[in-house]
Amino acid sequence: MNEELILQHGLTLDEFHVIRKYLNRDLSIEELGIFSAMWNEHCCYKTSKKWLKKLPTDNEIVIQGPGENAGVIDLQDNDGIAFKIESHNHPSYIEPFNGSATGVGGILRDIFTMGARPIATLDSIRFGLIETEKTKYLLNGVVNGIGHYGNCIGIPNIGGECEFESTYDFNNLVNAMAVGHVQKDKIFYSKPKSIGGLIVYIGSKTGKDGIHGASMASDVFSEEDEDEKRPSVQVGDPFMEKLLMEGCLELMSSGLIESMQDMGAAGITSSSVEMASKGNVGVYINLDKVPLRQPLSAYEILLSESQERMLAVIDKKNNHKVREILQKWQIDYEVIGEITDTKRVVFESNNKKVVDLPVEIIVNDAPEYDREFYIPKKRKNKDFDFSKIKLEDMIINLLTNLNYLDKSWVFDQYDSTVMGDTIREPGQSSGIVKIHGTQKVIGASTDCNPLYIRINPYEGMKYTVAESYRNLIACNINPLAITNNLNFASPLDPNIMGELVLSIHGLKTAAVKFNTPIVSGNVSLYNQTNEIPIKPTPVIGMVGSNMDLNKINTNKFCEIGNKILILGKQLTKNCSPYLLQDQKIAFNICEFNDLEVLDLDFEKKIANCVLELSDLKCIMSCNDISRGGIFSALLKMQYKDMGFRVKVPDPIDLFCEYSAGYVIEIRSKDFEKVTSFLTKKSAEYLEIGEIIKEGIEINSKKFDYFDIMNKYRNDFEKIIS
Amino acid sequence: MSFKSAVITFPGSNCDRDALCYLKDLTKGEVHNIWHEETSLPKVDLVILPGGFSFGDYLRSGAMASKSKIIDEVVKHANDNRYLLGICNGFQILTEIGLLEGALIRNKKLKFLGKNCFIKKKFKNNFNLSIKDNQILQIPVAHNEGNFYCDTETLNLLKNNEQIAFEYCKGEFSNTEENINGSIEAIAGITNKKKNVLGMMPHPERAYSDFHQSQDGRLIIESLIS
Repeated sequence: MNEELILQHGLTLDEFHVIRKYLNRDLSIEELGIFSAMWNEHCCYKTSKKWLKKLPTDNEIVIQGPGENAGVIDLQDNDGIAFKIESHNHPSYIEPFNGSATGVGGILRDIFTMGARPIATLDSIRFGLIETEKTKYLLNGVVNGIGHYGNCIGIPNIGGECEFESTYDFNNLVNAMAVGHVQKDKIFYSKPKSIGGLIVYIGSKTGKDGIHGASMASDVFSEEDEDEKRPSVQVGDPFMEKLLMEGCLELMSSGLIESMQDMGAAGITSSSVEMASKGNVGVYINLDKVPLRQPLSAYEILLSESQERMLAVIDKKNNHKVREILQKWQIDYEVIGEITDTKRVVFESNNKKVVDLPVEIIVNDAPEYDREFYIPKKRKNKDFDFSKIKLEDMIINLLTNLNYLDKSWVFDQYDSTVMGDTIREPGQSSGIVKIHGTQKVIGASTDCNPLYIRINPYEGMKYTVAESYRNLIACNINPLAITNNLNFASPLDPNIMGELVLSIHGLKTAAVKFNTPIVSGNVSLYNQTNEIPIKPTPVIGMVGSNMDLNKINTNKFCEIGNKILILGKQLTKNCSPYLLQDQKIAFNICEFNDLEVLDLDFEKKIANCVLELSDLKCIMSCNDISRGGIFSALLKMQYKDMGFRVKVPDPIDLFCEYSAGYVIEIRSKDFEKVTSFLTKKSAEYLEIGEIIKEGIEINSKKFDYFDIMNKYRNDFEKIIS
Repeated sequence: MSFKSAVITFPGSNCDRDALCYLKDLTKGEVHNIWHEETSLPKVDLVILPGGFSFGDYLRSGAMASKSKIIDEVVKHANDNRYLLGICNGFQILTEIGLLEGALIRNKKLKFLGKNCFIKKKFKNNFNLSIKDNQILQIPVAHNEGNFYCDTETLNLLKNNEQIAFEYCKGEFSNTEENINGSIEAIAGITNKKKNVLGMMPHPERAYSDFHQSQDGRLIIESLIS
């Protein structure tokens, strides 16, 4: 086989020789395609596996950890929660609308494949600087795509994040997360149960879209590639997905399905290989039976990533009933093969075996690399000059920075109340939905602090996990488990690889301390274009619960006259990275001081105080303190024309970042009770002011409330248009 | 006498479950879910055409659903002087059937709009009896094509016959919009001439339970039952 062809398929020559030696024969082009699809980073985690294995993935509530379509946790009674986050970065750069739409579609299929009904989505999206027309185009396309798919299928979007930073100029990130509800005794797995079971194809017909999508997702880009790669982006049809979802859920609840796999990345290849591998069985598939949208070669059918397709295994005797249900939902359905005892993957086309491979070589012998990595150098300590900083300028710096402005423009394009169970919509510290027909609620948040992680990947990752944790705590949601999406540049660069290794280590430390295991996840590497790597962006999706919806906190001010208290510990001015960056004090990444070590026990202690005070109904509203400090937290809390009057020793304190930082609103009559509670727990607090009508007042200086609020609420749209 | 109702489900409907819960919780009576391919409707007091993207909104929002088998029965139900409520996509379907005047075109900013909106009643009918004049209701909208449009002649008819049921308005606090999607005369919902058929873009079925942000959506069912 010629070298060029091998390299085109994203395999190294060494990798190819391993296969060649094992088989002791030449490969067919179809077989080469299969290895190309299965041995790339996206499917086999060859670079990250060694490190991912170190993550905590189990505790008493984990029903299913990583390795299935989604992780599942136990929510008492017969309720389980399935969730996962997944990236669609490269497709969303090449074709933002369809790239992001199919990202949502893919993650929803991962959820309902488990037998779970999706009940919420979130998304973490990052773009380059808005000054370029390209970013505006990408932002519009991505938000439109996410909205189009989720709105049409009818799953509420309850939150996420949207950030802008120059390293994402040519590598925007689109990470979509979905949460589903499943009855614990009705969870479906990808493992087939019996030899002789029929393999059935359910859903849209197969077309040319997305061929080699998974290997594209594991590639470094150059700008010229964009047009050439566009045909690799899949096209989504949310209406089809809605039918597919309802059809599949009906099949599963009728007990007609043995196992199910979504045809996602690497399509029919990856779903059938995984099925065989999980069940330790073989599969035989006749490609001539696959429903096609257009004439395709066997090679193309194997690698197509056409959307809205599922592969299922059913008992022969159920064939007729399955067909009937799918006919009602107007879904294509075809028996295309069966489960065998050969432990081989066999694909036939035109009466010829085009693929005949042992499952073992594809899955178990997939490469695993221990790539070289560097530990970042220790940073020198430096004192920054804050003498020229004025309060007015600090406020203007926030109000002219997209990252601080109200993102209604984004989430107003999403339906966040469909399904009728939404309790907290986007724009609050965490999104919250009710489990239908119960008093239980699920909260979820996605977060990442790339700047922190670039400064110190290990500590920075701890801060990232802690931020998600605080987002849930602020709403009185008990954090339970994590899904992660590790977005990095090329791991062939030992510095980048070092960030990957250390941040996984930080994730592990924090997840162990918070008892929030990682139950699902995704890795997206090679996010760099024209030699510009993205900042390390390991996004965390954290899920938690409260068994009583009446105990949930709001993040919005409740009543004029109530007091404002601050919990937690302020980071020093010299060690507040976002303060230094966004107030234009530090410009270059090498200028920053190292991060303060985050005390996770302290995080837990303060979090427990917030949870207990919430249960005592002493907290009227609460928000976590993150980028932009207390000031930004207070802006987000404004509601019904209520503002705030605060006094602090140094106005800069209002913009510093925090560990275990929370703003809490309490009634005057609860002041004694709350403060003595906090004193008893030896949790320091700071009383900084009160809620007032239509005003913002800092150290007796009055600001124009409506001017600030107008900018905060409406300037996002002005800046991006 | 108990209040009976039904919700029609089309392929792509995604607020049918919400509408069923809304009816079950508020009417306490029999509630039926009817698949679009059925050819008969039980005798009920109210039929809801729910929100969603029936048939993927392909061709035109509501256009394909308006040709479903069940529609003949829905029309008979309305001609029998019984209540018919179309919410969001249901409103679009009603205009496509021709039971209601006008059309729903794309929102003025050409973007999907998913947020709380504020409405008040314009002319009295059986769907808004329990709502006070000038009472502002907070109810979510979620639509791409909710911008009500009709020609001047039709608009005059709607006004003269007092067929405008709801109009968008500003909320109590700052930063709320007068006319959220650009509808002609800020129309949020209209009835037919006999006032037994109502189409509205806001979703009352998402604003009735204690845990919802607002409970104003109850008033519509309460009006019908009272």
